Amino acid sequence: MAKRGIEKQLNILDYALSSLWRRRTKNLSILLVFSAVIFLVASFLMVSKALSDRAGQLLVAAPEITVQRMSAGRQEAIPLAHGERLQGIFGIRRVVPRVWGYYFDEVTGANFTVLGVDPLQMPGGDGLATALARGRLPEEGEAGMVVVGQGVVETLALENRQLFSLFRPDLSLKTLTVSGEFAKETGIMTADLLLMHPAEARDLFLIAPGFATDLCISVANSREIETIARKIAELLPDCRVLTRPQIQKTYQVVFGWRSGFASICLLSAVAAFIILAWDKASGLAPEERREIAILKVLGWETADVLAVRFWEACLVSGLAFLLGMLSAFAHVLFFSAFLFRPILLGWSVLAPGLSLVPALALGDFLLLAAFTVLPYLAATVIPAWRSATVPADSALGG
Amino acid sequence: MLIALENVCKIYNQGQANEVRALSGIDLSVEAGSMLCLKGPSGSGKSTLLAIIGCVFPPTSGRAAIAGKQLARLPDRFLTIHRRESIGFIFQKFNVLPELTVLENITLPLLPLGISPRERRQRAKTLMERLGIAHRENFPAGQISGGELQRVAIARALINRPPIILADEPTAHLDTPLSREFMAIMQQLQAEGKTIVIASHDPLVFEHPAIDRQVAIQDGRIHVP
Amino acid sequence: MFLNPWSIALTLCGLLALALGAVASRTALRVLRFWDLGSDSNRQISLEGEIWLSSTLMAYGLGFQIVTLFLFVLAADQFAQAIAGAMCATGSLLASPYGVPTLLVKLCGLFFYGFWLLLHQLDIRSEHYPLVRSKYLYLLLLIPFLVLDVSLQTLYIAGLKPDIITSCCGVVFGSTAAGESNLLGGSSRHGLLIAFSLASLSLAGMATILLRRWRPRLAWSYSLGWLCFLPLALVVITTVVSSYVYAMPYHKCPFCLLKPEYHYFGLPLYGSLLLAGFFGMSAAPTGLVRSKPGLARVVDSYQRLAVKGSLLLLVIFAGLSWYHFLKYLLVGGEG
Repeated sequence: MAKRGIEKQLNILDYALSSLWRRRTKNLSILLVFSAVIFLVASFLMVSKALSDRAGQLLVAAPEITVQRMSAGRQEAIPLAHGERLQGIFGIRRVVPRVWGYYFDEVTGANFTVLGVDPLQMPGGDGLATALARGRLPEEGEAGMVVVGQGVVETLALENRQLFSLFRPDLSLKTLTVSGEFAKETGIMTADLLLMHPAEARDLFLIAPGFATDLCISVANSREIETIARKIAELLPDCRVLTRPQIQKTYQVVFGWRSGFASICLLSAVAAFIILAWDKASGLAPEERREIAILKVLGWETADVLAVRFWEACLVSGLAFLLGMLSAFAHVLFFSAFLFRPILLGWSVLAPGLSLVPALALGDFLLLAAFTVLPYLAATVIPAWRSATVPADSALGG
Repeated sequence: MLIALENVCKIYNQGQANEVRALSGIDLSVEAGSMLCLKGPSGSGKSTLLAIIGCVFPPTSGRAAIAGKQLARLPDRFLTIHRRESIGFIFQKFNVLPELTVLENITLPLLPLGISPRERRQRAKTLMERLGIAHRENFPAGQISGGELQRVAIARALINRPPIILADEPTAHLDTPLSREFMAIMQQLQAEGKTIVIASHDPLVFEHPAIDRQVAIQDGRIHVP
Repeated sequence: MFLNPWSIALTLCGLLALALGAVASRTALRVLRFWDLGSDSNRQISLEGEIWLSSTLMAYGLGFQIVTLFLFVLAADQFAQAIAGAMCATGSLLASPYGVPTLLVKLCGLFFYGFWLLLHQLDIRSEHYPLVRSKYLYLLLLIPFLVLDVSLQTLYIAGLKPDIITSCCGVVFGSTAAGESNLLGGSSRHGLLIAFSLASLSLAGMATILLRRWRPRLAWSYSLGWLCFLPLALVVITTVVSSYVYAMPYHKCPFCLLKPEYHYFGLPLYGSLLLAGFFGMSAAPTGLVRSKPGLARVVDSYQRLAVKGSLLLLVIFAGLSWYHFLKYLLVGGEG
């Protein structure tokens, strides 16, 4: 019984395939438009997912708590003395002052991230040494030594030069020596990075000694992050305390919101396609009508003809899904989602000029199918039924 | 009786302005193994009668028992199931799908029965050999001659091994030799025990010696001369 | 939180399901009003055609329901990244009073659609279509349920308020406490395990007896047994099975099982349980329509199939749920 049923569905599937092939011009146009729509939606979801994954990876390296001094609602340099006041709070493992900022290079128009931190004090700082392609990390007291990312090497055309200069705010020149380069593989985090000793960074930005831009605090037990953050906030009322989980969630909300907004825009593309699909499916050509009438008079039930239509819809949407997905994957992975560059401008700060690797789970396929395949199936079901109820007797008589 | 109609009426669009009474008060019984010809001008109701015998739709009123099944009040689904078990159809224009191959056309009735491609081909092969169209197996049906087309139609009507064969004006598009050939094949089938009902107003058919009985239809009634 | 791809997908699916339901209910109303199998009128002929439309729509509805159920759980898991204190789907479902009810309604929806399709399959096997009226009455009753499903889901999505760090007010303190929260607190593991084993064994026993000889009373207790077994099994998956799958004693979550990290173990686990539950629960009630014309043989063969199917799936389900536990016992703690 069950075997017959499966064999029957296979027969019907086979018939659906040949029926699609017979009307290939019509179906090919549907397939192409459908793939294009899936391509757009899929590329977008992949990009936003890849970016939010990236942001997550970046944030793993972020300190558990960051303390910044605020004045008149703006961030200001924080005195190192603040850090000493925090030492009393139980559960804090280490307080590391950090000088952190952006340097705008007027010649090339590039933005570099300058990070002034003592690698020996950083938690996991010894890991930094393994991130180097060549050279070594700057040591205490070595003047003008800096480790640069590959992006910086390219923009400044350093190649084998060891020396280069940057302007201080008062336009005097600060000469720096390259002591090492970050490896390409760490590009997500290091491409635009200049890593130097805090004293050097203070010198570059002309920040007074005894000050930093923020304090990074590492905590012994990650469950206590919120409690410790609250204590810090009470102790230093003029400071803003940011915790890693909060930053992470804010990013997620922003990403979710952005991609949600874009999904709504893309939905209009889906809607347009659905209207097209409906239109194509509901126009029943006389030959099709004749074919269905013949099938029915030869003993095909309404349900069998509906099954043909269902398999056709499945084949078309399955193939379109495959095509759309593969091209979206290529678009994101090999062409860095060039179509979406303008929309993603705001995110380029996070992932400057990087290749995006979309990591997809089963759930993402389901999400994509819910956006594209399900509306298509829903739009074709009523036209399919209309065609399946062509009466058998219209095959009779002259 | 393989076919037994009692007081069968068929009214199209019942209860509406465009109501048409196509058949009224038809009594007809056909024994198994006989060959019957329904004759009458077009529009006389013989196609409707053939459709009722062929379980395409049920009569509006009256009793119709076809191959042991009462058709009255039978939902469409069960008519279809009964039709594919008991009836083989040969149509006026043969009703083949021109883009499908001869083999595909012949095996169309077997697809919803869940019969495997191998068995389908086997069954079709026997019939194609018998009817002399085996060499056309993989030709698109749109590219073969009228005589071959007619054999394809016969093969398709026989593929589900039905006890009853119905033919609606089968010779309308055939020349005289082909029409004779068609009747010869029908005669053979009758000899094998099939019950055959042909609707035709072609004298070559209804005057054929193999026809056991002629029934004249006029204005939806059986006409007794 | 409507501006999120997952929320939009869920809402879209909900709207599509409502549209399909609306079309199906139009047929239902027409059938309830005009159905007359004896008539040869055009209306009756078109109604017979519409039966296929409504059944296809309901089959699609079931498909959509399965998809949205998954989407809903996966979406909740995604939302967890944006909700303070939520670690996975559990947290975000508890973040709003509508979360768990929506999930339960969606779960029940699977069975309601399934039962309708079963009724339809039984109906079209009799030449008299004896269940046509009850079938469409049931369909009409399904519509408010569908509306409930979509509205709960919308309320849930609307009620989710992610915490956004604003630069003016410094620290927003999320409550970390919710991260540890569990859907079910304080049930005894040993008691549950014993109840679970006894229940599965007795269901298997009843199925074996029923397959040998059909006894209507036993069949009813079998179906009721499944009705009780389903929630029990869900509790056991949450409190016992899941932590063995995760190999972490304090991680008890029924949803993380569906994630790729755990090889989608939840898919076969829940799949076999729900299908077994469907077969088990439908075994006895189908007997109610046995006396209708033309249904006796159809119902008998379905009932046997249902018992066989539920027994087979029960064995698969039990095997899957014990697998990680036994592996833990054999290989030991960290294995």
